[in-house]
Amino acid sequence: MSAIGEATSPPAPRRKLGLASIPAALLVVIAVWEIAATRCAATSVPDDAAWERAARAVRAGYRPGDLIVFAPEWVDPVGRLHLGDLIPLEMAARMDAARYGRIWELSIRGARSPDTRGLTPAASEHHDGVELRRYERPPAVVVADVRDRFGAARIEGGGRASLELAEVGFAPHRCIQVVPRPGAPTRVTFAQLPVGSELVGYVGIADVFTRRDLRIPGTLEVEIAGKIVASVSAGIDDGWLRFAVPTTPGTVDVTFIASVARLSPTKPQPDRLICFAAEARR
Amino acid sequence: MTLSVARRRIIGWSLALVTTIAVLVNQREIGIARDEVVYMQNGARYADWWIGLVTLQHGIDATQITRTFGGPGATDNNREHPPFVKTLFGISHRVAHRGLGVDEVSAYRVPSAVLHGLLVALVFFMVVELWGFAEALISGLLVMLLPRALFHASLACFDAPIMTMWFATVYAYWRCLDGRRWPWQVGVVFGLALATKHTAFLLPFALALHYAIVSYRAGGWRGLVLHRWRVAISLAVLGPLILIVAWPWLWLDPIGHIRQWLTFHTDHVHYNFEYLGRNWNAPRFPWHVALITTLFTVPVSTLSAAVVGAWVWIKQRAQSVDRARAPALLLGLSAAASIGPFLLGTTPIFGAEKHWMPALPTICIAAGVGVVWAARAALRFVESWRPLAPRWQLATIGGVATLVVLAAAVETVTAQPYALSWYNALAGGAPGGADLGMNRQFWGSSARGVLPVLAEHAPPAGAPPRPVYTHDASPAWGYYLKQGRLPRTLPDAGWEQAGVAKSQLALVIHERHFNRHDFMIWKSYGTVKPIFVLRAAGVPIVSVYQRSASPRVSP
Repeated sequence: MSAIGEATSPPAPRRKLGLASIPAALLVVIAVWEIAATRCAATSVPDDAAWERAARAVRAGYRPGDLIVFAPEWVDPVGRLHLGDLIPLEMAARMDAARYGRIWELSIRGARSPDTRGLTPAASEHHDGVELRRYERPPAVVVADVRDRFGAARIEGGGRASLELAEVGFAPHRCIQVVPRPGAPTRVTFAQLPVGSELVGYVGIADVFTRRDLRIPGTLEVEIAGKIVASVSAGIDDGWLRFAVPTTPGTVDVTFIASVARLSPTKPQPDRLICFAAEARR
Repeated sequence: MTLSVARRRIIGWSLALVTTIAVLVNQREIGIARDEVVYMQNGARYADWWIGLVTLQHGIDATQITRTFGGPGATDNNREHPPFVKTLFGISHRVAHRGLGVDEVSAYRVPSAVLHGLLVALVFFMVVELWGFAEALISGLLVMLLPRALFHASLACFDAPIMTMWFATVYAYWRCLDGRRWPWQVGVVFGLALATKHTAFLLPFALALHYAIVSYRAGGWRGLVLHRWRVAISLAVLGPLILIVAWPWLWLDPIGHIRQWLTFHTDHVHYNFEYLGRNWNAPRFPWHVALITTLFTVPVSTLSAAVVGAWVWIKQRAQSVDRARAPALLLGLSAAASIGPFLLGTTPIFGAEKHWMPALPTICIAAGVGVVWAARAALRFVESWRPLAPRWQLATIGGVATLVVLAAAVETVTAQPYALSWYNALAGGAPGGADLGMNRQFWGSSARGVLPVLAEHAPPAGAPPRPVYTHDASPAWGYYLKQGRLPRTLPDAGWEQAGVAKSQLALVIHERHFNRHDFMIWKSYGTVKPIFVLRAAGVPIVSVYQRSASPRVSP
């Protein structure tokens, strides 16, 4: 057994001894850094007082219809704690942010929300670690939202369709959820839908557990006036996928065709929950 | 510093006592984990059966054994996990709770705490014999100051106990390689490890390879058969025998029931687990999950010192201590056997570090060796300029060691009681872990932190109850009510949509795949605004919602 302070090696050149002492120096530096960094990390996230100050600033300039977003995504519950009363369900479960002309972004740790990507803030303030930015831009003008017209939609093919607030890619989305029978597409038709110059939509697979248990994609096709104009294959890890097709302003029959492959002719398979939303934009 | 055997024992057992007390104190702030409830309840019944048997209240009856330990379903009476530690939980409950009046949950958790103390003692005893007192003391303290391990040791679950039993097997095996005539100890301890958790089946991979190397070194091909053959027999015969003795369900159909037990784990459903920003619930998993998770969940100083220690072991392998029994190789193989399966990409990754915690003693021992080697090397450099008095030598080594241990202590204290949400300084703490998309938590134990908030919203006695949607805290709810942490007017509302619809209050334990609970609540309550958000170092871990009088219609 060796003892404390015992030099067990023969005498070595001083330079070599100097090199051999580097690990000890590194351990000391790392330990001191770790002690400081651990305490700093534990107190690095802004507290409720900072959030409250930022929330007050939002409320002072807020106009009905403004979108409020938080970044990074993990701080969303704290943001909703302070400003959730200004976020209607429809806004929280939005298709995307294009229809919002004013966006308030509250962020910490230098994060940005995907909803403000590419935008330049019109105003920004700092509140003890909470960065408040306001963005302004011309909003997309929505001519028709298929979710608002779901009650009048025609559903064919034997599957089920309903309007839901669903989890798609771990995010909330208000969407039309179609559960097609395997191998038999379900058609959801909106007759004489007013359209502008573009039909923009999103599709994804709802429910984390069915995504786990059935690992094949679902497909959504868009048919305008009897012609397939878009086809999106939504995989289990794809989240909320965007699609867009140009349209000629007017009214037209638009059909969304949801389908999933049949894996076995005899064995039952879990439901594939295909969720979509779409807006006709001017 | 040379210590007498008696002093070594006193110090080792003192470390064990301190560790046990630290765990018992720590567990008081830790909520009840989802699976823990199952282990506690079944453990109580197993203990009752054994006590009934030894006090001759009943005999050995197949029907009763099946009703207590087995059953036709894969999870009947928790038959998917062996009973040794659960039985200890049950006995502890009888003695500490019913006998001594200790609170019920703490009483169930005493065996985990004691076993964690035992682990620290065993690490100390092995290292003091091989490398020295300073190395042993540092290694023991670093095992004590592992934030996640301390958390797991605070629960009545198997993950900390199997770390102890795994290391105890390694220790017993190493001791039994001394040529003793009857090395029964290693077989018995291995059997108890098997009776603790199925992961003990990985141990023979490490032991067999180590045995092959040391026996070949000792006697060539002939040595493979004859060198310490009794150790191999002890492991192969006594190990399974002890497993069967400890598990009455196996008495009925040893082969068939062992097959059913292991099949459950080879066919286990993959739970959701977040890793580097993505939710994983099916293979192939990234090969680096175990490595990166370990990198972020063991104190950085401990890991750094372990790198130095491992380097020393490799560099000095020709003149290593106890070369005949190759302890450093044994420890390395032990860690590799524990963590190796998680590099395959097919082994379930849920639960993360708790499933490869038996690798941690090796890391801590390497760290202990590394700290002392590094400090001594620095000392030699200083003394090449000017010789130091013994007290200054001691101060130099003590100074480096103290800083490394202090860093681990700071991480450990910071981590509790929500250690599953904690990540080390390299990751940036809990917020850094959240930024990296590392798993936030699992098992729902953090719900304990919002009980006082819920209690504030309880109706007065006599008023109609306000059911609470509790999702993964649901199994623990009965205990929280029983412990008086919640008034009886806040019952569990039930599962999923029906539970949300019935509830007046709701909580969401934040994990990525639990976001769906938020959305169900928003839809039913008509608001996205929680009334409270529990945070660990600023990172949300539980939200509480309250149903308003006039919810908006949705969606």
